[in-house]
Amino acid sequence: MVSLSVILPLILTVSLPISISPESQRLFDRVEAIPDGSTILLTFDYYPSTLAETEPMSVAALRHCWRKDLKIVTLSTVGLGGPNIADRVMATLAEEFDKNYGIDYVNLGYKANYQAVLLGLGQSIRSIYPTDYYGTPLDSLPMMTDFDTYDGFDFIYIISDNGIVDYWVGLVNARYGAEMGAGVTAVMAPKFYAYVRADQLIGLLGGMKGAAEYEYLVEAEGMATSGMVAQSMVHMTIIAFIIIGNISYFATRRRNVS
Amino acid sequence: MVVSFFSGNESVSEFSQGQLVWITIVGGFALLLGVASITRVSFDHIKQRKKDWPYKVVLLVFLAVSGLGGIFEGTEQGTVYDWLFQNMNAPMMSTMFSLLAFYIASAAYRAFRARTLEATILLITATVVMLGRVPMGSYIYEYLPQITDWIMNYPNLSVQRGIIIGAALGAASMSLRIILGIERTYLGRS
Repeated sequence: MVSLSVILPLILTVSLPISISPESQRLFDRVEAIPDGSTILLTFDYYPSTLAETEPMSVAALRHCWRKDLKIVTLSTVGLGGPNIADRVMATLAEEFDKNYGIDYVNLGYKANYQAVLLGLGQSIRSIYPTDYYGTPLDSLPMMTDFDTYDGFDFIYIISDNGIVDYWVGLVNARYGAEMGAGVTAVMAPKFYAYVRADQLIGLLGGMKGAAEYEYLVEAEGMATSGMVAQSMVHMTIIAFIIIGNISYFATRRRNVS
Repeated sequence: MVVSFFSGNESVSEFSQGQLVWITIVGGFALLLGVASITRVSFDHIKQRKKDWPYKVVLLVFLAVSGLGGIFEGTEQGTVYDWLFQNMNAPMMSTMFSLLAFYIASAAYRAFRARTLEATILLITATVVMLGRVPMGSYIYEYLPQITDWIMNYPNLSVQRGIIIGAALGAASMSLRIILGIERTYLGRS
């Protein structure tokens, strides 16, 4: 049943209109307000297991940023695959938007011990990342010459599938006052509404729905939008199972009582 | 770290920054330690022909190939490491994660019962949120997305705040105990 719920909508290519949550709209509006040509930090803090939810967010965020000619520095606090995912996604979109490495975007890669990395970047990016992901010294990259701390970023855009968002907020936003927004998996999203309400996070994308909302706002429908009908069908299937299971439970209980 | 957080002194900040760099270096060696540990355990498993020992051989082969490939060739696009990651590791991890959908469906039928008042409230809320978070929800009832937003921004938010504050207080008290030497379980002592 679950397999059919996923496969059929994807084959039939049905689409449904998507409502935009206030949190996604806030994130979009904040990024839209960044002056063209500014520099932002975009993180790929997720494992390959959650690619279906998080990669569409990264792609939509990149499209939005490069439509505005924002320069992007990217890093990952996930050793298993984060830099490789960043490498692939950015290289693919860089071709589409005619962006050049070192001038329009830089991939810093991964360094061990994320707490030290997040704290250390606030004092000196070069002390933590003397070279980029490809071994090139940061000083030889044109877009990295003017700044060395979080002050050089107009916004920090976190895409994550784990609790690293807590550390971004607790260490970076609290100590250095850096503005940030996050895209997280649906399972994690409920936790971060408190940060959004406290303005520690400007906006929040939750799961594939959040990614679909952002794709709609950026006017570039992608994987998340096409997955929305499948997700709707699976949710309906699970709710049906819950209802059937409870009907069966109450019927059995009544029979046992009588 | 604690002193540098509150102190504006430049010498303290510089010393703290040096410490942070050392931590990242030590962290890298800790990863190496993990590799050494799993290699040793797997070798023992293979030598003693324990259950599923062929999988340990596969593990060691791919560990060697990806590790040596990453060291000598790099990890960028077009390398052996990247090929193994994009074509084997990523699809397999995504597949394992997607199996959860079937377990949830099974649990939905077998275990999600309205046995008590609290369980009933939980079930109704979960159903509302599940419907409100997908496009089909607005077809069923036009205000379902707004009701879901209210649930996330009021009941959910207040509970999450309590949990975050509780966890932070717990972490702060545990950190103080460790700094003062009262808590020594991390050293292997009771």
